[in-house]
Order: sequence, then structure tokens, then C-alpha cells
Amino acid sequence: MRLGEALAAARRDGPLLVPYVLVDRRRAHRWTALARALREGGAAAVELGFPFSDPIADGPVLEAAGGRALADGTRWSDLERAARAVAPILPTAVMTYANPVWHRGLAPALVRLRSCGVSGLIVPDLSYEESAPWSRAAGVAGIDLVLLAAPGLASSRVGRIARRSRGFLYLVSRYGTTGVGPDRASDDLGRLVRAAHAAQPRLPVLVGFGVHDAESADRARATGADGVVVGTALEQRIARGDGERSIARWLRTLNGRASD
Amino acid sequence: MPRHFGPYGGAFVPETLVPALQELDGAWRAARKDPAFRAELRRLSRTLGGRPTPLYFAARLTRRAGGAEIWLKREDLVHGGAHKFNNALGQGLLTRRMGKHRLIAETGAGQHGVATAMIGAALGLRTEVYMGEVDMERQRPNVDRMRLLGATVHPVTTGRRTLKDAINAALRDWIANVRTTHYLLGSAVGPHPYPSLVADFQSVIGKEIRRQSTAAFGRLPDLVVACVGGGSNAIGTFHPLRRTRVELLGVEAGGVGGRGPGAASLTRGRPGILHGSFSYVLQDHDGQVAETESISAGLDYPGVGPEHAWLRDTGRARYVAVRDRDALRAFHWLAEDEGILPALEPSHALFAAVHEARRRPRRERIVVTLSGRGDKDLAVVTRAAR
Repeated sequence: MRLGEALAAARRDGPLLVPYVLVDRRRAHRWTALARALREGGAAAVELGFPFSDPIADGPVLEAAGGRALADGTRWSDLERAARAVAPILPTAVMTYANPVWHRGLAPALVRLRSCGVSGLIVPDLSYEESAPWSRAAGVAGIDLVLLAAPGLASSRVGRIARRSRGFLYLVSRYGTTGVGPDRASDDLGRLVRAAHAAQPRLPVLVGFGVHDAESADRARATGADGVVVGTALEQRIARGDGERSIARWLRTLNGRASD
Repeated sequence: MPRHFGPYGGAFVPETLVPALQELDGAWRAARKDPAFRAELRRLSRTLGGRPTPLYFAARLTRRAGGAEIWLKREDLVHGGAHKFNNALGQGLLTRRMGKHRLIAETGAGQHGVATAMIGAALGLRTEVYMGEVDMERQRPNVDRMRLLGATVHPVTTGRRTLKDAINAALRDWIANVRTTHYLLGSAVGPHPYPSLVADFQSVIGKEIRRQSTAAFGRLPDLVVACVGGGSNAIGTFHPLRRTRVELLGVEAGGVGGRGPGAASLTRGRPGILHGSFSYVLQDHDGQVAETESISAGLDYPGVGPEHAWLRDTGRARYVAVRDRDALRAFHWLAEDEGILPALEPSHALFAAVHEARRRPRRERIVVTLSGRGDKDLAVVTRAAR
């Protein structure tokens, strides 16, 4: 199932939760267990983050984690292995910067990812203007290219982005990099969510950057968004050695589903 | 102003930055057409910057080479000691025009940081500069200068702690503070409109070469030579001459030589996406950006401006790499032959120019852009001499 179909189905049952997990070769033995824990915690899909040497959209936690993963020798093949382990359990998107994908050749890289079970791609440094060839290549490969929108954008631009985005629209919550920052979620978010929904009613809007607990997740959903992405806070828990059960329990506190 | 150079260029940035890039593009287009803006840019270039800079005939260096004449475009005499002033002034005036009151910048050798600090002081803009810890160590005098000029210098401790990491840090600051802050990018790299914008402000170099060479020897030079890190002094030299028959030679940092990549993205890299544009990038086979090494902090960068990538692919310009020790040799030649201490960055270009002069007849003229002065490099050069 493509990412978009999976999220559309899950959206009918309540808010969406999509966790981000960094690919680090030292986690190779944990992927199946981690994916099950995420599913148990209420995740509708998972983002596998492939580290890049120059992650300009990342805050200190993910930057350091990515740096450690690369220093330990994490390679593209580790991403493919992780995807093969995770995709049978949860719909899987890959999140990485433009160069590691471009470097392998756009079309072959995407076809190959699809064959590993990946059904979504998120590229934080891909602006709308550069996204057309990526969108086409992703469409051919059967991968949903998720575009990002951010505070400060005109509603018309958010609408254009939403119309080209597949899977979901990744709405960056505030000015700043990933992780908990001094700048609270932009009060402009409601306008952006409405602009996206108006342009593309069936496309879920997920808010990310800075979602780290039940309160921040509730706040993000209160904008009218369909769910949240959680990355940095989860990375900190995995990095400090939290077990699968504890991760699942923590995720349940912020997935916003009453039944859990 | 072009967004792409052949397939190169573009704007690979998080959406958060798009409104600011569009605003900058618009402000610059309007300013170019505004006679008052152009008059102020000209006036401050002259009265604060010391332009035009002279074109100097290096007679004794020419004799050492024993071939074509070597002329120096003296950007080392610009206020602050490098060509970086040209761009910092232009963008500083744009910042004021956009109503922003805070400047951030990255710096490698410290020359761009110093230029930004000077402009920030002169225009009353708060200035903060990101600089890799390694570069702060090897370019100490410039750190002191920036601080005396009222700028805050933030040490960057990530990655290799050099120019690339300073750009990452500046971009992150900009993402967080984009509403109030202008990122005064110092080289012809980054997302559109920076490569075109910086080339525009640096083109004063090539325009003056055109005028001054005609005045000095009645025609354009046969060859111009400039060093290339990100490539701003080179694009400023090349751009106004690109539709003439003048040969263009860009000189990258070859590092210690041997199998290492140095910092020669055009001669040893592959096309890739770094810091917002598609250009040549030194990278490994997973697309991770490679670590560079060069004796000169200003050339120690794994990417290059996208216009250079296109000049290279079309064959309009040639690019070569010069090793650390050859740059050091050229440094001493210029010091001893002409009484000029060049920065280590243009020392790479000087070495290549002497090499070219040797193979060319005496009637040919070579102009080398001497992009900065060497005071900042005395510690590195003295250590290398021991």
C-alpha cells in the first residue's frame, strides 16, 4: 500500500502519528522490534531518516545523532536494509536531504527504494520550485513525494504545494530547525492548515518540528491538522537506550487517540 | 538575472527560507534600476572602499617567469584587505533597503567576516559572524578585527570546523530568524539569487580590468587568472569578460597533493547539491560531502558557485588545482620580487599565472586578481617556513 492510501485509511480512525527514526547501522538488529513498538504506540507510518553530512534543517540533537551514525559507517545500504525490515510492519517513508538521493540518480534511486518497500519520500531542502522532476520520478517509481510547507508562506503557495504533494503535507510548525527550540509554534499554523485543506481536501496535513510531548502534540492538532510527526524527542529516547515497550507507551501518550 | 546556469544553480532550501530569498531577489532587482541606490553604491565603493583598485605591472615577477607579462589587479588594496568588501557593501545596502536590522555571515579566512563587520558598523546594522573553530585558530588576526569592529563571532564546533560548517550554522540561524535578519553570504554559492547577486557586486573587478587594461596596454589581456574557493573573486573577474576572447583560468586548492582531494571541487568533484545549489561538490559514493583540506582557509570548501560549474562544462573557463606548497612558493616570490604580501588564496592563482607566463610569448598579457593581502596568513606562512 502506498503511503497516501495507508494514511487516508488511518485518518478515518483518528489523528495520525508518524514517528521519525534515524537510520544508524548500530540499530540494524532492532528494526523489526522497533517498528512493532511504533505500531503498538499508534504510529500510522514511519519515516526512516538517512543521515546527511550537512543537515541544514536539523537542530543540534538530530545533527549530532546523524554525525554519529555517519562516523560509525552508516551507508545507503543500511537504509535499504532497515526499509526491508520495517516496511512489512508499517508504511514507510524515507526522509533525507536532496544530495544522497540525487547522487544515486533520481529515477534508479527511487525505483530501488520502492523495491525495498518504501512508499514515501520527504526531502527537507527541496523547495517547490525544484520539486517537479522529483515529483515525476517519484510518480513513475510508485513513491509518494511528500512536500513541506512552512510559516511565512503565502496561502496561495501553500495551496500549490499541497496540490503537488502526495502522501501527506508536512507542515513545519515554526521558524527554526528540528527539535525543541525557543520559538514556540507559529500562531500562523491554522491559516496554513486551512489553505492546504482548501486546495487538497483529501491530503492529510501533519505538523512536525518541535512536537515532543502530549501538550505540544495537542497544540499542533488544535490547528486543524490531521496529525503530528515526532522526531527529535523519539531520537533522544532511542539514543539513551529506552526499550521497545517504554517507547510504545510514550508514543501512546501523544497520539491523540482516545481508545488507546 | 539567471536562476540557472545550464543545469546548475537553483534553490534547494527548506520552504522557510523561500519568502526571504524572493524578497532579496525583488529588492535587488528594484535596487539595480534605482539611480539613487547605484549612486550610493558607487560613492561608498570609492570613498569608503578605495575603489577603483590599481592594475599593477609586476615587472620583476614577470622577469622571474621569463615569458608573458604579469599584471596584478590589486583587490588586496580594497578597504579591509580583500575583494569581499565589494559584495558586503552591496548586500549591506540591500539589507537597509529591505528594512532588516541584523546581519549574519559565515567566514572562512575571516576576510568576509571582517568586510561584513565593517559594513555592519558603517551602516549601523548588528552583525554576527559564524566561523569554524579551526579557522579561528589559523586566522586569529581577523577574529580580533571582527570583534573590534563590533561584531559577535560565534565559533562553529561541528564537522571539520571550517567554512562549510560555518555556512551550515549561518543557514540554521537564518531559518530561525529570517524575518529580521539578512544572511550576507560571502561567496557566489548558495541558493538563487545569491550566485547572481554576488557575481553582480563583484563584477566591478572585471569591469575595471577591462577599462584599465585598455588604458595600460591598449587592449584586453590574453588571460585572466583568479583563485576559486566558492568562486566570488573569480566570477567577478570572469563575468564581464565572458563574452570576449580573453582566456579564463580558475585556480583551486590542491591541498597537500597526492591522492587527497584538497578542496578542488571543479577538478576532482562531481555534480551535487550543497548549500542550496546544484554545482560541483566533493563527495563520497553515498553523496556525503567530503572533508577538504587546504592551507588556505578561504579556499577550504567542498563546493563551488554554480556559474563556475557551467563555465567549466562549456569549456569557456579552465580550472586547475595548485598544491599548498606551490602556493607558498608563489607567496614568497611576490613578497621578494614585488614587496607585496599576498593572501594564501590568491597565492594559488599567482603560482598558476607564473606557470602560464613561462609557456607564453612576451607579447602576451596575463592579469591575476590579487584578491586579498597576506597579513592574516603570517602565522601559517612562518610556521610552514620552519
